[in-house]
Order: sequence, then structure tokens, then C-alpha cells
Amino acid sequence: MRYRIGLVALLAVVAWGLPYGLNLYAMHVADVALVFAVLAIGLGLAMGVAGQVNLAQVAFFGVGSYAVAILTTHYGYGFWPAALLSLVATVVIGLLVGTPALRVQSHYLGIVTLGLAVAFTNWVTNAALAGGASGISGIPVPPLGGVDLSSDYLYWYVEVVVFAAALAFGLFVVRTPLGRRMRAMRDDSLAAGAVGAEVPMLRMAAFGLASVYGGLAGVLYAGLIRYVSPDTFSMTNMFLLLAMVIIGGRQSLVGCVVGALALSLLREALSDASTYAQLGYGVVVVLAVVFAPTGLAGLPARLRSGWRKRRGEGASAAVLGPFRPFPAAPQASAPVGPGPLLEVQQISKRFRGLWALREVSLSVGAGEIRGIVGPNGSGKTTLFNVISGLYRPSGGTVRLGGAPVGGRRPYQLSHAGLARTFQNLRLFNNLTVRENVLVAADRSRTRGIWRYAVWQVGVVRRDRALRARADAMLDQFGLSAFADALPRSLPYGIQRRVEIARAMVSGPRLLLLDEPAAGLNGEEVRQLGEIVRSIRDSGVTVVIIEHNMGLVMSLCERITVLASGEVIAEGGPAEVAATPRVIEAYLGDSAMSKDVPPVIATEVAQ
Amino acid sequence: MHTPRHIRGALIGAAVLTTILATACSAPGKSSTSSSGSGKGPIKIAVVDAQSGQLSSLGHWESNGAKLAVDQWNAKGGINGRKIQLDVFDDQGDPTVGTNLARKIASDGYIAMIGTSESAVTQAMAPILQQEQIPNITSGQADSMVKLGSPFLFLNGPTSTTYDETLAKYVVDTKGIKSIAMITNNGGYGKGEHDAFLASLSKRGVTPLTDQVVTTDQKDFSAALTTIRQKNPQLVFIGSEEVEAGLIVKQARDLGITVPFAGSAPQGTPVFAETAGAANVENTIVSSPYLGNDISDASRTFAAAYKAAYGDDAELHGAKAYDGTSIVLTALKTSNVATGKKLADAIRATKYNGLLGSFAFDSTGVGIFATSIGVISNGKLAAAS
Repeated sequence: MRYRIGLVALLAVVAWGLPYGLNLYAMHVADVALVFAVLAIGLGLAMGVAGQVNLAQVAFFGVGSYAVAILTTHYGYGFWPAALLSLVATVVIGLLVGTPALRVQSHYLGIVTLGLAVAFTNWVTNAALAGGASGISGIPVPPLGGVDLSSDYLYWYVEVVVFAAALAFGLFVVRTPLGRRMRAMRDDSLAAGAVGAEVPMLRMAAFGLASVYGGLAGVLYAGLIRYVSPDTFSMTNMFLLLAMVIIGGRQSLVGCVVGALALSLLREALSDASTYAQLGYGVVVVLAVVFAPTGLAGLPARLRSGWRKRRGEGASAAVLGPFRPFPAAPQASAPVGPGPLLEVQQISKRFRGLWALREVSLSVGAGEIRGIVGPNGSGKTTLFNVISGLYRPSGGTVRLGGAPVGGRRPYQLSHAGLARTFQNLRLFNNLTVRENVLVAADRSRTRGIWRYAVWQVGVVRRDRALRARADAMLDQFGLSAFADALPRSLPYGIQRRVEIARAMVSGPRLLLLDEPAAGLNGEEVRQLGEIVRSIRDSGVTVVIIEHNMGLVMSLCERITVLASGEVIAEGGPAEVAATPRVIEAYLGDSAMSKDVPPVIATEVAQ
Repeated sequence: MHTPRHIRGALIGAAVLTTILATACSAPGKSSTSSSGSGKGPIKIAVVDAQSGQLSSLGHWESNGAKLAVDQWNAKGGINGRKIQLDVFDDQGDPTVGTNLARKIASDGYIAMIGTSESAVTQAMAPILQQEQIPNITSGQADSMVKLGSPFLFLNGPTSTTYDETLAKYVVDTKGIKSIAMITNNGGYGKGEHDAFLASLSKRGVTPLTDQVVTTDQKDFSAALTTIRQKNPQLVFIGSEEVEAGLIVKQARDLGITVPFAGSAPQGTPVFAETAGAANVENTIVSSPYLGNDISDASRTFAAAYKAAYGDDAELHGAKAYDGTSIVLTALKTSNVATGKKLADAIRATKYNGLLGSFAFDSTGVGIFATSIGVISNGKLAAAS
């Protein structure tokens, strides 16, 4: 930490002293490079942090500087009022450009945003207001007390201040709840929704942030060059910007800055051979994407891990701690509530011609552990997906605690007290174990992000509270030793446990576990049984899909059997095992016959 | 446990910073930039043009023209016994790169600049060149550059207004043609042509039958041309660069538009004629200060020297750059290698008889106010009778 503060102080001194050592040309190049650095932070936030492919960043840049140009030259505004208004304009445009992200993602989003960026360039080329192809000149020098900002040297200090604030705010966002949710959304938007992150709002927030940085860069550009024309916001420059972010390392804002500065200076150094330079950028980008997806920023970590491997240091010597049971809820002993906690009525789900679920009904009382079994393809996971809001049912209703929740989005259900795990682990792979749990611990709504703009202290306080809560949960599950590890590096059994901890930290009323024992060894399965029982005893209702019949039979009070999308039996373990249709369903599927518990086998033999 | 340490670190950092700030408070960048004007060694002149990208052919022609002029002066012994050093810089057609280059040539001690061929880049560079007091002779012709009012910015040719006023005068006043269609592109050049020609027409009370605007990278113009054919004009005005204008004419003939075209300098070039097809460009009316290499003795000498140096045929852009560079060199000679404002004043005072005509600069930096009208007949551009 000390080392880091020292580094920041050193950089501050360098930034302050730089103008004394540079000639005008180098100073101007540095000024331009810093504008691009601000722009790249914005792109890094949208693309690297939130995973939104945003090829319109150069258009945000353009909107910012054109707005300043138009407001100052056509409407006679002062530079600073115009700068403020143009920031607002850029954010409005940014949110508009971001709306397609609600429907499309990845490369489709790239195409849409690229189209909008091209539309912007076309508009400024044609519009009389924007001066057409010859652009707008005569933007006034920003006034600042008695300081003459027409000097590139003094302008540098304005840029450094804005840049430092912009970078600090960006890093602040990344490390606090908003950025964590964005990163979670980037890694797995489905799971992020299931733990309560409002994915649509977060996508808009990502575009909003990107446009703020675009607008800032645009204002700085307008004040520095004092002339705007369409060529500056061309696709060539969008590609250059993309190259900066990818080469620098898109998941790290500092990497984006390094990339922007490096490429700006390189471009200048190679200006006599620009044709080859363009080709060179292309090659370097491809190499970076293939061989160093984390870019320059990821290199130290890669080198470090390579070094460790060579020295033969084992991964982590950390051990899984014991699970400490939850305190039992006082009312857990008494039968609770008037009605069932989860009530599924006549749910059907159809995929084209296939009925994955056909009029499935079941009701789970509060404090129950319900098992759901059935052969592969019988619709168990589809049922979970319908209950947790990932699928919209073709018919029927779902009630949670008596209230109908059909058609609600996953994040809304999460806030209503529902948590789940996934059959194929869905942890956020680029977040540490602690961060995985932190994302789910955050119960706030995204609309609370106004705090980021005006009351950062509140954000820090809340983050601290969340961390305490997450650490407590990790400790409870015996995962403290792995808190700073990435999930991928952990054994499968531990990853399973992390996913349950992540689900529990949201404080659910109802927990859906989708094959939690798959891939676990005997001891781990025993621990799992213990954990699930403790969860139930703490007052949480549990529904569990499981193929491990031993676990189901010992754990569940009631079992629902699905086959071909229909409920074929329901009742206590022994009762269900004796049902002829269940035996038939299981023996009909030879692959599953090994799962037939001994009790059924005896039945059949008799 | 952690917090005090943070605070201590931050305090140390802040203390170091304030100490340094307090000890040295003078603003940076006050030292004056060196200039090669009064010293010895070569006289440094910069050519800034797009050497890569879409406009690179234009940039190439211009740097050739400028080099030819400098080589000829150097062969005669330079100026005051000093050689002239001409260096070419690539602005990539990007205004931001242009501003970097403006600072670069200032820092490296260049005392004058030739270029650029793109008005947008020139406009971006103009405030810096004015601040650095480096005279700049540009090849652009957009009227918006003149409006900048920089005393260090000169044009090596007429403005769009001159081109199109001359053209409109010939077409409307002399020939009496009033039903005119327009097709222009939305690039810097095309927009300038569009605005200037439209202004000249409306001054004469003529409204174009149709006003079609295409983009700079368009390849198919049938929609615009079909509209033009329906209006049945007597003449079609083109405001576009060589290749695109050639494509437009070719496609217009294919669609059955038989009336003549009219335009500015690009329509007088071999590239235009080759793209459109020799038969298709017959009767095209051209407003240009440089109708061709055979127009005068001076142009024949220039074209021969150009051909000998580069193996290519000379054309307008090379001629403009040649004239512009010659004017700068003449001003350097008459002013005894002055720099900055004195050199700008010397350029403004220079009367020069060049390939494009007689230059006499006014306060706006424009030196030539007339173009000639040429008509293509039998595949050759000749002055209109």
C-alpha cells in the first residue's frame, strides 16, 4: 500500500514537472495523448469492465467536442457553461446509443453501435449547424482566472487534474458495488441477474459512464485544438482507440491508460511511416487478442504466475475450513405460515414443438426440503428456470409467499427472496471468491447509483458493511482461506460450496439447488447434506434437484418425481420409491438405472 | 491498523509535492523557440500533406511540385548562399495529427510551411501556426479558411468562390444557360463547390432544377442521376474530385443524359477524362487557373521539368504547389531570409507571375482572383473562345 502511494506521488511529481522538460511539440503530443487516455478509460469501463461492446466511443468524443464548438461559436456561450451542457448532451446521446444493449449483446451490439457512430460522422459531415466537412473553427480559449490556457504547457495541468479525477473515479467505481456488479454481468449476465443485479440498468449505466468520459475527452479536445471537423471522429480513430484499450488491457483501467499513452506516442514516433504503422497496429491487436487477452496490464500477473510455476511452487496451501452451522431460526421447530411458500400451478413450458413442462403443479411449504428427481430431460432444470424467472412459462402461475411472481425478471425475484445455484457452475470467473459473494450480498437497487455522483462516502460505508457481511459468510462456509482466489483455480467441490455461499449471502427465503452434489466425492456429499439441513434449520425453504438418490432419500421430507415434463409422483421418500410409474420411468432409461436406489430394486425384484 | 499508515504515506507525498511546488513557481514553456532564420545552415521548409490514406495521391502531387521548385532554386545556389531543405510530413488526413505536426515543425525550426491539401487539416493547424508565426501556403480552396483571418495563412490558388463565380458568369451570362442541375459531394471540397456555385447562381436569379448531394465514397449515382434526367436540364454542374466526377459522368451518359457538364479544376484533369471515357467528356466546361500543360511557355517548361524529375505528367496540384513554393522562396530572397511576421509580410508583398496567373495577395491571404474557362473538345482542354 505504501509502495502504491509512493508510486502515485512519484507520478504526480512527474506530471507536474513534465512541461519543464519538454519542447512545445512534445508538450502538444502529450496533451493529445492525455485526451485519448481519458477517452480510453471510458471505453475500458464499458467494454472491459461491463462487457458492453461499444464502438461508438469515438462518437461520444465527437458529441462532446462538437457540442462545445456549436454552443460557443453559434450561440455565444462561454467555454465552461458550454462544456457543462455538452457533458449533459453526451450522456443523453450515450444512453440513447446504449438502448440497443437491452436487446442485443456481444458482436451484434458492436455492429449496432458502430452503425450509430457512422451515423454521427455522416450527420456532422452534412449538417449546416456542424459546419459540414470543413468543421467549426474559432472555439474560444477556456478562460481560467489569469491563466492563459492557449499555452499547451498550462493546458497540460488542466488536463492532468481532469485526468486524475477521471481515473480515480473510474477506479473507485470498479472497486465498489457498481463496478463489481458490472464485472459480474460481464462474466455471466444470467448469474448476475439471479443474484440480484439489475442487468438492463447496469448496461445503461455502463453506456452512461462511457459517455461521461467521452464527453470529458471531447471538452478537453475542443479546448486544446479549438477546432473540430468530422475527420477527427473517423472510424480509423475508433479503431486506434480500440487498439489502445485492447493492447493496454481492457479489464484494467490503468492498462487502458497505459495503452492510450503508449499508442499515441508510438503513432507520433512512426508518423513518417504511417501506412506501415497502421498495419503494425492491426498485427499487434491480433497478437494481443490471441496471446495476451489481458493486454499489457495483465503481463505482470502472467509473468508472476509463470515464475511461480517454474520454481515449482504449488498453487495454494489453503485448506477448506469446516462449515459452521447457521443459528437455528426460533420458529423453525413450529410449522410455519398459513400457506405454502412456493406454489407452482399448472406450469407449462414449450420450446417450439417440444413440451418441456406440461401442467406441472407443486407446492412447497415453508421450512421444507423438497427433492425433485427424474430422468435426464424430464424438465427439472426447466422448472427451476421458470421459477427463477429465466424462462417465461407458456402457461400457469408461480406464487412466492402467496404473491404471484410470474413474468418477473430474475433480479426482481432475487430481491423477493429467491436464490439459486446452477447445474453447471455459474461463478463469476474473473472475480475473486470474496467478490463473487460480495455481488450477491449487495441488496441495493441500481437506482441508488446517484450516490456515486454526489455522496461517495456513502458508497464507501456501504461497501465496508457489505465486505463484513461477505467475510462472515465465507467464514461460515469455511472458505476464508480462498477469499482472494479466482474460482477457476479451485477444486470443483469448493467451487460448488462457493456457489451455495453466494446464494445464501443474499438472505433468501427460498433456495433452489440444481444438482449440488454432482461431481462431489462421498465426504463432500455428506458435508453438503449437513449444510443443506443447517440452511433449512435457519428458516430457509430448500428445493433441490439431485440425481444422488442416497442424498435425496436421506435429506428430503417430500419428493416430486418428474418424467417427460410431467409430475408422475409426489410424496415421502419411501412412498415415491414404491410408485410403479417411478420405477418404470427409471428402468426405461438404462443410463439412469444405476441411480435406482436399493429400495426400488427390491420392489422390482419382488 | 492500516489506516494510520495510509495517512502517513499520503501526508509524506503531499509534503514532498508542496515543497517542490513552493520552490519553483515559474510557469513552464517560457523559453523562446529557436529559429533557423537568422542563423547559418540550411533554410528549413516543411511540406505537410497526406502521404497515406484516401488523399495520399493529392499529397504526393503537391510534395512533387514543391520539391521541384526547391530543387531548381538549390541548383541555382539557394538563397544568400544557403541551401533550402524541404522535408515532407504526413498528416494522414487527420486534423489532430495536423496539430501535432504544426507544433513539431515549430519546434524543429522550420520557418515556412507548404500544404495541406485538405482544408480541415489546414484549419486545425492555422491557430498554432499563427501563434508560432509560421507562414503557411495552403493548397486548399475552401472559403472557410479565408474567414479564419490568420495573417500567416495564404492560398496558392483561387477560392471556390472565384472558381464558381467565373463559371457561373460564363454559363449564365455568356451562354445564357438557365436550366441547370447540380450534383456535388458532401466532402470538404464538394461542399465548398456546392455553396459557392449556388451563391453565384442565386446572385443571377437562377435556381437549380435539382440539387443532388452524394457522399465521397459513393460508387453508384443512378438515383441522383435519374432525378436529374427527369428534370431535363441544359447543363449539369459537378462539384466533386477527379475520380468520382469521372464516374458520375460515365454513369450519366449510360443513363442517357447527353447535355454537357461543368465544373472546376478536377474536371480539366486527365484522371477525370480517363475515368469517364474520352467520348463522354466532350464539351465539358471547366473553370480552372491551370487549363493544361500546353497553355503557355511557362507551363510547358514546368511540365517538361516535372516529367524529367518524376516521369509523370504534371497537373494542377503540382503546379499550385510549385507556384506556392516559388512565392515563399521569392519572399525569402527579397526579405533576406526573414522569419515570422516579417516573412509573412514579404509573402504578402510578393508579386509573382506563375503558372496559375499573376499573384498579388490581399489582406485575406488570397493571391489570385481569376480562373480561365476551358472546354474539352476532341479530347483536349482548350481555352473557351
